[in-house]
Parts: sequence; structure tokens; C-alpha cells
Amino acid sequence: MTGRDLFVISTGNLLRMKLRTFLTTSGVLIAIAAFVAMLSFAAGNQKYVEEEYLRFGLFTTIQVSPRGGSEGADSSRGPRLDRAALDRLAAIPGVNLVYPYEAFTVRVKLGDTVLASKAQALPATALRTRFFATLTSGRPFGSDSSRQILVSDELMKKAGRPDSVLGLRAVVSVRVSTPDSGLAHVLMNRGESIIDRLRRIRTDSLGNRGYRSRTIRSEIHAAMQRFMEGFLQAQETLTDTLTVCGVYHVNRSGRLRTEEMVIPLVTAARFNNAGMSGSPSEMMASLSSGSPFGESRDASGKTFSLVTISFDPGVLSTTIRDSVEALGFRAFSFAAQFEQIQRFFLAFDMAIGVIGLIALVTASLGIVNTMVMSITERRKEIGVLRALGANDLDIRALFIVESGAIGLLGTSLGIFCGWALTRIVSMVARGYMKGQGLPEIELFALPVWLILIALGIGIGVSVLAGIYPAGRAARVDPVEALRNE
Amino acid sequence: MTPACYLQTTDLCRHYERGHRVVKALDNVTISIARGEFVGIVGSSGSGKTTLLNLLAGLDTPTSGVVDLDGVPLSSMSRRQLAAYRAAKVGMVFQSFNLIAHYTALQNVETAFYFTGTQPVERRRLAAEMLERLGLADRATHRPSDLSGGEQQRVAVARAIVKKPELLFADEPTGNLDLENAGQIASLLTMLHGEGLTIIMVTHNLELAGQRTQRIIRMQYGRLDRGDHSDARADARPDAREGAIP
Repeated sequence: MTGRDLFVISTGNLLRMKLRTFLTTSGVLIAIAAFVAMLSFAAGNQKYVEEEYLRFGLFTTIQVSPRGGSEGADSSRGPRLDRAALDRLAAIPGVNLVYPYEAFTVRVKLGDTVLASKAQALPATALRTRFFATLTSGRPFGSDSSRQILVSDELMKKAGRPDSVLGLRAVVSVRVSTPDSGLAHVLMNRGESIIDRLRRIRTDSLGNRGYRSRTIRSEIHAAMQRFMEGFLQAQETLTDTLTVCGVYHVNRSGRLRTEEMVIPLVTAARFNNAGMSGSPSEMMASLSSGSPFGESRDASGKTFSLVTISFDPGVLSTTIRDSVEALGFRAFSFAAQFEQIQRFFLAFDMAIGVIGLIALVTASLGIVNTMVMSITERRKEIGVLRALGANDLDIRALFIVESGAIGLLGTSLGIFCGWALTRIVSMVARGYMKGQGLPEIELFALPVWLILIALGIGIGVSVLAGIYPAGRAARVDPVEALRNE
Repeated sequence: MTPACYLQTTDLCRHYERGHRVVKALDNVTISIARGEFVGIVGSSGSGKTTLLNLLAGLDTPTSGVVDLDGVPLSSMSRRQLAAYRAAKVGMVFQSFNLIAHYTALQNVETAFYFTGTQPVERRRLAAEMLERLGLADRATHRPSDLSGGEQQRVAVARAIVKKPELLFADEPTGNLDLENAGQIASLLTMLHGEGLTIIMVTHNLELAGQRTQRIIRMQYGRLDRGDHSDARADARPDAREGAIP
């Protein structure tokens, strides 16, 4: 019996028993549709994550932080993450770019609008990495000392200028606290100078030990209070006028982040190294670094909480990570993070696969039932085929092909229905995302491997379901089957 | 086995167990059939005629004894070889036609080639030719339910002989037919025998057996009946022999 004969006979029988075939196939269809839809969701998310990692070049990015803590450096627990450390990191073979995360609070005037925002200092080379190479308009600044600025689309919206900001002048100002302002407050405060205060001291009583001691304590306390008042309140304002050269889309990709403005590294140094920021968090960072005043003015002594390393695609991220850790820093590898995500998706896929398989096994019981009923109804036909020369294998093949055909039909329709279901859900989800102002993400994907797995499992389970009925059919006694009623 | 002997049974037994009772459907039957012979097997219901036919066709397995085909015992063949034997050498016609109800006449005849390795185009051509030869060309696309009893049996005969078997086993081929159709089928079998086909026909109809077959084998209670059958002999053709060949 040829394959064509088996196919013709099997499909003929299925078409003859339309309702039964429809019901049995529906079981397989529903199981496969659910299986495909669920795995499609996992595949869609996996694809999205992978695309994001590729888009932002995260596979070739490592973030470095001091071992002692997230802010500054703790010499007792690890080396300082300062300029010298950046040079050591840049010297690791395969590393092509090292830049720190330096952000500071600014006020910016765009047109007539003044906004409080946050700026980030970046070297021009960093803009060539994939993470920052997402300008929606304009072009990146040419050099680290360029007097240009990149602004985010979010900032433009806040400024009420969703478009046409290229070439616009942005007046950037930073309020910083310096020891100078504190000292000035000590010398002169609310119209009273230090001379006035000294005049109030009764010099003739200074010989009295108690008076002398109280006066010294009181004056030192007052001087410190004045210094802190001056340091914190009488902040110096630094202003610079820069030209908007490009607009970018803000990335919110986990640990890697961009602020609302990007200023060339050297141009930003004026703001960044001028003194202690008025921002409480930045102030705490400066204080915890152990060098709030002196070293902050000195770029070579500045420490960083976070440094980003970009390396060649041909170099293993583990090699770079090991080198960074050998220098005494903590390294965070996005490639390693992606592996963990992959493992999560694998476990997720397997869990979904098991659920789908359970549904499919349940549906396969329907196939077994249909086939067993078919044998009962077709005993005479089996007997005739036996008399005509069919062997055990022919009879088995007849029923296995029939159950396989149910599987093929159910699986094919199931894949289509599963796909259609994901399209509908995706359309609804996209509509919701759009309504919420969120970026539209494709939640589902139907890769070829998923179609092949669904086909393999659907047809495989159906064929397995046909083995028992086929064995029964092969054992039908032709003499009994052909006996006259 | 004599040189002319083609199909032979030796002490063939087929017993069934029904609870604690053993039913001897066939008991020590020894017959011999020559190539090209037309043999009639007659006997009352339950005499073991059909059991003998099934054993000769390799559809059933004897409890003991041997069926030899051209010197080769069927018992030495595997199930697969027996199936190949039926596919290549055996044609079977049944009392109730046993056509596949959802196939057309042409498709029913074609089923004979399912297990012979004949190409689909060739087998369709041969099946159509056979139907035409048996006067059923205009019925080729009809399903069995649209055919008369005589036509259905002719389709069954066409299915049995289309692959040109060496042996034709006919089990009550006229049992469900009226006189006219029975006569047509009998004539058809005679014609096929004339073409050299070896035919073993089981029938109740002693007259038919006597007129059409060369030899009659009588059976009773699972054994060969060697009693006096003068009436039957009188009804039979002059060249018909009675009883089994030892």
C-alpha cells in the first residue's frame, strides 16, 4: 500500500465522518492554539529583550562601580573609581571606550520656558555607541569641548516645543555651593561683619577664664553656623549658553540611563567641578566621597559612582568582567544578565510546554476514542483488506495515518488560530499602550522554530494516540470480520 | 503430493474452544486440488465448508494438519508472507459481496491492487477494463448501495479476478442472488475456469455445484462425507466426480 493510498483512504474516512472528525480535530486545535499563543507570548518578549540588547549594544557593555558602595570610593574595601581608575580600565585589552556617569541638576531656559532638569556629561565618543546613537533629529556634538547640547524629546515636550528646537539657544545654569560663599557669610552676614562681632567682645573681661571660654565657644559656633548658612543658601550661580544640536529619545533600559540633556564632557566640567550641588542627593554623594571641597575642584581627584565600559564585539564579556574585577571593582555584565533572562525564558517556555502538552494529551484521548470507534465500525472493511492481501503493517499504517491526519489538520488549524488570537490580543494591547502614552511593544512572535515544534508535538502526539487503536485493528480476526451476519 | 496436485490439505483440523467445550469445525480433512480445477464444496450449514475455505486462503490458522500450496506448507509462512500470498495468488468472493460501502464500483475493484505494488494509473485502467468486461462499465461510478445484488456480486468477482490470481475462492457466491443473477455469476465462474483459473466454490446449491464444477467435495460435521449420494450424482454433470480425492 503506497503512502498516497494511505493518505487517500485516511482522508476519505475522515471526510465521511465529518462531525466526529470536526469534534476530534477541535480538541487538538484548541490545545495547539493555546500552546502556540502562550509560547508566542514568551517568544515575543524574548525577541523584544534581545532586540533591545542588540539595539543598545548591551552585549558589549559593562558597568563598573566601586566595590565599597554605589557612591564614591571606600579605600578600606576597594580602590577609588577616579580618573586614574578610568585610565586603568581603558587599558584593558579589547576596551574601546570608558566614560563615567556624571549627572547634575540644572535649570535650563529653552526659548521663554525655564525648566528644572538633569544633565549628563558625556564624551563625544560615547555618542557613537549604540546606546546613544538614537538621535531622532540633528547630529551629535563634534567634540568634548563643543558648546553644543543634546536635548531629549521629553524635555522638548515639557518646554512646549515638540519640534524645531535645532539651533535654539539653551541657557543652562547650575547653583553650586562653594567654600567661598560660606567664608563670605562668616565675614559678613545680614549687614553685620566679623569686625562688628569682634567689637562686641569685652576685651577687659578676657582675663576671666569663664568669660573667655564662653566667648570662644560662642564665636566658633556662630562662625560655623554662618559658614553653613552661606554654603547652603548663598549659592553661586554658573550660567552657560549652549546651542541645541540634536534631539534624542530617552532610553529607560534598566541600569543604563540617559538624562534629559547631554552636555559635552569638557563643557560640562565647569558646572560639574564648580562645587557642591544644591541637590540633596548630589550633596550627600559629595560628602560621602570624603572630598566635598578640595578635590571636587580638582578633576583628577574626582571619584565616580558608575563607569560604563564599551568593548569590541569580538571580545568575551567574561574576559572584560574578570579584568575589571581583578582591578578591584565591581562589574555588571549585561551579557551575563541576558543569559539569566534567557534561562528564565527557557524555564517559562518549558512550563508553558508542559501545560500545552497536558492539553494535547487530553485531546489525544479523543483521537483514541475516535479511532477505536472507527475500528468497530470498519471491522468488515478491515476483513476485506486482509482478504485482499493487507498485512499487519498495512492495517496499522491505515489507522496511524488517519490519527496523524487528524493531528496534522488540528495542528495546522491550531497554529493558525493561535496566531490569529495573538494578533487580536496584540492589537488590543497596542491600542492600550498607545492610549496610555507608552511605547508600542509587540508582545508576540511566531518564529519558525515554534511552528515546527507545534507541528512536531501536535502530529507526534496524534500519531502516538493512534498506535493503540492501530494495534487493535491489526489484531482484528479477518474470519470473524467477514463472517455473514 | 502428485505432480498435478496444486493445493493439498493433510489431516487438517480446526477446533474452537467454547468455554469448556471444543467445537471441531474441521476434523482431519485431507483433500487435493489440481491446478486449473473447478471444485465445489457442498454441505449443510456448520459442516465446515467456509472454515476449510478460510484455511486454504490463509485467512485462518489450522489447529493441526497442513495446507500445502505447490509443495510449500502455508504453516511455514509468516503472517506477512501469508498476506503476500493472498495479495498475489488469491481472489475471494463472498456471499454478502463484502464491497466497501463508501467506495464506487471502480474504487472497489481497484482495492485489489492496493497490496500488489501496481501503479495507480495502471490499476485504474485495469479495474475499468474488468468492469467493462463484466458489463458494468456504466456502473463504475456507482456505490454498492446503488447497485442490484447481481451487479454487486459481479463487482466483487471483478475485484477478485482483476489482479489475475491463480486461485479463486468463492464462498456461496450465489447465496444472496435470485435465479437469474445466480445463473449469470455461475456462467461467469465457468468462463473464468475456462480461462485456466483454479476455482474452489463453497455452495449449498448442489445443482449449481453439479452443473458447473468438475468435482464435488461433500462435507458433514467438519469431515468429508463419503456416503452414498446418488441423487446428487444424478443432478450433476456427467463429468462431475463426487467425494474427495484421497
